[in-house]
Amino acid sequence: MEENESPQLTKDEKKLFEDLMPEDLNEILVHGVNRRHFLKLMTLAGGGMLAWQSAVAEQVLTRPFSALTSSDFSPANIENGVNLSFKVNGAAKKLMVDSRMTLLDTLRERLELTGSKKGCDHGQCGACTVIVDGRRVLSCLTLAASCEGRSVKTIEGIAQGNELHPIQSAFIKHDGFQCGFCTPGQICSAVAVMDEAKNGEVSCVTEDVRQTASPIKLSNEEISERMSGNLCRCGAYPNIVAAIQEVHSGKEVAQTWEFRG
Amino acid sequence: MQEKEKVTGTPVSRIDGILKVTGKADYSTDHPVKNVAYAVLFKSTIAAGRIKDIDTAAAEKSPGVLSVITYKNAPKLNLKGGIRGGSMLQSPDVEFFGQHIGLVVAETFEQARHAADLIVVDYEKKEAKTDFEKLHQQGAKPKDKEDEKRGDVKAALDSAEFKVEETYATPIYHHHPLEPHATIAEWQGENVILYNSSQIINGAQNAAASTLNLKPENVRIISPYIGGGFGSKGGQWGNLVLAAVAAKMVNRPVKLALTRQQMVNSVGLRQRNYQKVALSATKDGKLASLSHEITTHSAIKEEFVEPCGDCSKVMYDVPNLLISYRVVAMNMILPTYTRGPGKSTGSFALESAMDELAFKLNMDPIQLRIKNEPERDPSNGKPWSSRTTVQCLQEGAKAFGWEKRKAQPRQNQLGNELIGYGVACGTYPAHQRPSSAIVKLKRDGEDVTATIELAAADLGTGTYTILAQTAADSLDLPIDKIIVKIGDSDLPPAAGAVGSVGATSYANVVNDACIKITDELIARSGKQFFTRPTAAQLMVSEKVDNIQTRADSKPPENAEDYSSHSFNANFAEVRVNISTGMVKVSRFLAVTGAGKILNPKTARSQIIGGNVWGIGMALTEESVVDPRWGNFVTRSLGDYHVPANLDIGTMEAIFIREEDKFGNKLGVKGIGEVGIVGVAAAVANAVFNATGKRVRELPITPDKLL
Amino acid sequence: MRPFKYTNAKDVTAAAKMLAANPDAKFLAGGTNLLDLMKEDVEQPNELIDITRLALADIKLISSGTNKGGTSIGGLGKNTAAANHPLIRQNYPLLTQAILAGASGQIRNMATNGGNLLQRTRCSYFFDVAMPCNKREPGSGCGAMEGINRMHAIFGWSEKCVAVYPSDMAVALAALDAVVKVRNASGQERTILLADFHRLPGDTPEKDTNLSHGEIITAIELPKNNFADKSYYLKVRDRASYAFALVSVAAALEMNGNKIAQARIAMGGVAHKPWRAFQAEKMLVGKEATEANFRLAAEAEMADAKPLEHNKFKVELGNRSIVLALQMAINGGKS
Repeated sequence: MEENESPQLTKDEKKLFEDLMPEDLNEILVHGVNRRHFLKLMTLAGGGMLAWQSAVAEQVLTRPFSALTSSDFSPANIENGVNLSFKVNGAAKKLMVDSRMTLLDTLRERLELTGSKKGCDHGQCGACTVIVDGRRVLSCLTLAASCEGRSVKTIEGIAQGNELHPIQSAFIKHDGFQCGFCTPGQICSAVAVMDEAKNGEVSCVTEDVRQTASPIKLSNEEISERMSGNLCRCGAYPNIVAAIQEVHSGKEVAQTWEFRG
Repeated sequence: MQEKEKVTGTPVSRIDGILKVTGKADYSTDHPVKNVAYAVLFKSTIAAGRIKDIDTAAAEKSPGVLSVITYKNAPKLNLKGGIRGGSMLQSPDVEFFGQHIGLVVAETFEQARHAADLIVVDYEKKEAKTDFEKLHQQGAKPKDKEDEKRGDVKAALDSAEFKVEETYATPIYHHHPLEPHATIAEWQGENVILYNSSQIINGAQNAAASTLNLKPENVRIISPYIGGGFGSKGGQWGNLVLAAVAAKMVNRPVKLALTRQQMVNSVGLRQRNYQKVALSATKDGKLASLSHEITTHSAIKEEFVEPCGDCSKVMYDVPNLLISYRVVAMNMILPTYTRGPGKSTGSFALESAMDELAFKLNMDPIQLRIKNEPERDPSNGKPWSSRTTVQCLQEGAKAFGWEKRKAQPRQNQLGNELIGYGVACGTYPAHQRPSSAIVKLKRDGEDVTATIELAAADLGTGTYTILAQTAADSLDLPIDKIIVKIGDSDLPPAAGAVGSVGATSYANVVNDACIKITDELIARSGKQFFTRPTAAQLMVSEKVDNIQTRADSKPPENAEDYSSHSFNANFAEVRVNISTGMVKVSRFLAVTGAGKILNPKTARSQIIGGNVWGIGMALTEESVVDPRWGNFVTRSLGDYHVPANLDIGTMEAIFIREEDKFGNKLGVKGIGEVGIVGVAAAVANAVFNATGKRVRELPITPDKLL
Repeated sequence: MRPFKYTNAKDVTAAAKMLAANPDAKFLAGGTNLLDLMKEDVEQPNELIDITRLALADIKLISSGTNKGGTSIGGLGKNTAAANHPLIRQNYPLLTQAILAGASGQIRNMATNGGNLLQRTRCSYFFDVAMPCNKREPGSGCGAMEGINRMHAIFGWSEKCVAVYPSDMAVALAALDAVVKVRNASGQERTILLADFHRLPGDTPEKDTNLSHGEIITAIELPKNNFADKSYYLKVRDRASYAFALVSVAAALEMNGNKIAQARIAMGGVAHKPWRAFQAEKMLVGKEATEANFRLAAEAEMADAKPLEHNKFKVELGNRSIVLALQMAINGGKS
């Protein structure tokens, strides 16, 4: 991968970042545009950028961006190093990790994929949920070293390019979050729950586990139980269930608020 | 000229939603800072005493370690700078279990965490005050709270025909936002950038600057997204300045995140309260007296007392009133504001007692409340800017099917479950706070865009979205032409997102700025207009390329002539398993009168979020101290049960249409806090209606219903 | 977390050998409990032997031996796979329910069947290295005995330890008379009855199980039984999901006409191991499946309970839970 692009931005480009990604501007000016900025800009582009911005964005998006792994990381700081090659969101990754490093910290601190969140680091909140070889797991309790050859999908890989996954769109529509910190984990979990239902997997609230109907049609209670490993402190649970139910059932779920008086 | 449809008041989806669902919203530790070193805190394992010696040799020798910082080598900080809770490595004294006593900075997180485990501390222990059950009778008057008295409570109580005298207890609760408190500190010469989730951007800036002996302009707080706060990120705590200290000492940017376990004694808590409530009434339900005596605890050196008596001051028309507070200084982390501070816990006591009184009077609890509706604010005699309690109760009763409630408990059983209904009211004051904002307009041909800038915070409350809506309407621009920049202390100073003042203060100042810039455009045109043109029109017609202005807004001058509050009524349906005592809130309805609702979608989420908090308060959450050490035994999210998805049943929100023009220009009241007030009581009252068991000590776990 | 060497085992015997060679080594399977404890500095291995890729995940009918006609569950299969396998769902729905009552979807996707058996207690004094704990540090004392012991044992505890074993899966396995198959470094296999697999704390609370260092759990075998129609796993907890049990009950009945031919009852959340309610079981055999008989059986079992200061409620809750679980079992899972 290319080295960091020279930080010289055109006036328009600088303005673009200043307007859309002010929190990143400082870094961009010093270090140049990297892949993370690129991803973010892509997202914003999908989220309805202004016309003049789109033109500039196009310019930025066609330029090379910096390598994904932190270039300043020195292998000298790795103890009991383990060579790891695996796939993240479809791209092959090779790096050496400290044997103690979790998948979560590897994603966040080495691969600049900070979408997966550290809410508890002990498997008690679900904010770090990612999908490994098709199944949802907790990246905080997964050693990176144990991921050799595996395929990891994170929140950054849920959308197909510029197109949101239906679960992502439904979360926006049904306001399935407030602060948004648990959201990456909720969404990875929800995407996997869809497949689990398709496979006919049962849950703790399934009426009769001996029935082998497949796929399973999920009631709201089923969705609630299956999503209970993802805590949301803001209390967006009913909205999360509504979002998932809408995608799962293919039927619109009404949004309910009412004004009286 | 075509009138654009207003977007304010419509259910616009969050404009920051796309970043949140794709993992690209940056919270504290997500900001990509190069060459960052990692800091891990270590904490005291005694509750009181002094560090005799601290052996850092093994840690210092551990691979990758850059520095071990303790009171021995930490720079001198200003302890009166506004950082809460001490814990800043300024002395060997220990005042509570889990006080920060040092931090290790290393090349990697793994190295720092390991080295922190190698620290050996020798303590000189002192006797610690850790047992509230033993100490609560030693409570003294708080420094900033006088007893409030009206009439003669004792006489009224003595002569009353109907009375309730009970003590209600709530445990220690923790905020536990999903994002643990964390800071990245990066020095640039004399200036330091602190990426740090902050509900009060300027407050964090000032506290950090003052504590670090810097000028505010040397400190920049960056906090575009906040992973929940609920009060714990209102005031700022030691981690903010310790990250800056560490970064200075290792001459590199430093990332410092609290672990979940460290959260329990690092960033405040909601203190345990004993609340003795005595109500007396005539047989037709007119209240004769209300006394509400609160005993709680605070820290050894600093005092914080939740205002549990606030609801009792304003909810009911009662001639004889007593509200008192007593506080015990204990060796524990300083308590702090927690969602619906005082009101959520206080309303549990008051509204449970009202339910008990209604039961004794054989009166519908809704009728009892309506009977005692005050015409003016009984605490100060001011007229209400508006009050919706009765409407909330009546509309709620209709919508909830209150008539199906059985007056006597244990009358509604389905299979192995007892079903019960409960109601309780709540209130929270509404205020506008001074704030400033800049609006910038830019034209490209016919295309006009606006940027709104202010140091506001969005902790999931919807600030980005409601400000875009407000500006879009005020400027006459489509909402996707508005860019909202907040969460940065380099922007114009603004109120904090605390105490339900955020939406009110921010929306009003943005609206003022938009009006002002329109005025300026009109003035600049030098023309007279028959009807007032909009900013969007003027930008194009007057061919203005760029213009910006700043507004500094304050509450209206006569705002203090009125008592301005949000009000609600909460309705709960619970199902209690007869055998196991497990309770599920199967249905919950909150009816809220909170002025103008800027966005019903995000407002509903806020209300439901508060309700979920209240359900957690009522049923699952509890922080437990082992008094022998003063430590929390519930230090993980496996032990401290915030509600999970399956705990929450059907949640409904109704808003009362309300035009309140007195409190602030836009008639906005704020809803973040009121959503939790009254909820725990509604649930507890429903549990009584279902089972006949009155639980006066929260949470209502299965063991309490056997 | 201390530094450790990360190694991979190429086959089962090699894994056992690698473990046997290093007293401070541990196997890494699902990691859901081990990494949690390593982050807390409770577990301090200097080597982790990753065994997740060993071919021990099969679930199959047993075609010979004492458990012929039963089902074998691979030690390294994931909990989710075990809960959802048609052989388990059809023949041992009690086990499916118990597995699904534990943890969360994500954790069950990671956790292995063998690892589930080796879960350590959730006692908060055990988890907090600032507290005394004989299990973590023999001789340091028991923090919970005189402390906050609401979650702790009412059966079989000792002066040294009052912790409870947290697994749900193992409670069902105990009720189903499961057998644990283990292999050692020399390739020798032995079987341990699940009921004997976990230990009571006694004077050595640091030892959770009767597994020796160097042994690997290859499979869990379920004998054939006739409980599938009438079984139920009841879990009582402080929140609706994603919480450990206050009390749980695995109940299974086999009827002969209107009389109980066989009964199996095991409890979770009450002891240092899955607690088989042998007394209650014995009382039920030959009786009619009535609430009154269930109550008598439950009372007989709970009469021996020795609650601590904060968990007296567990006696009454245990009573009621046994009765309710039996009622649910006899009604095919409905109250």
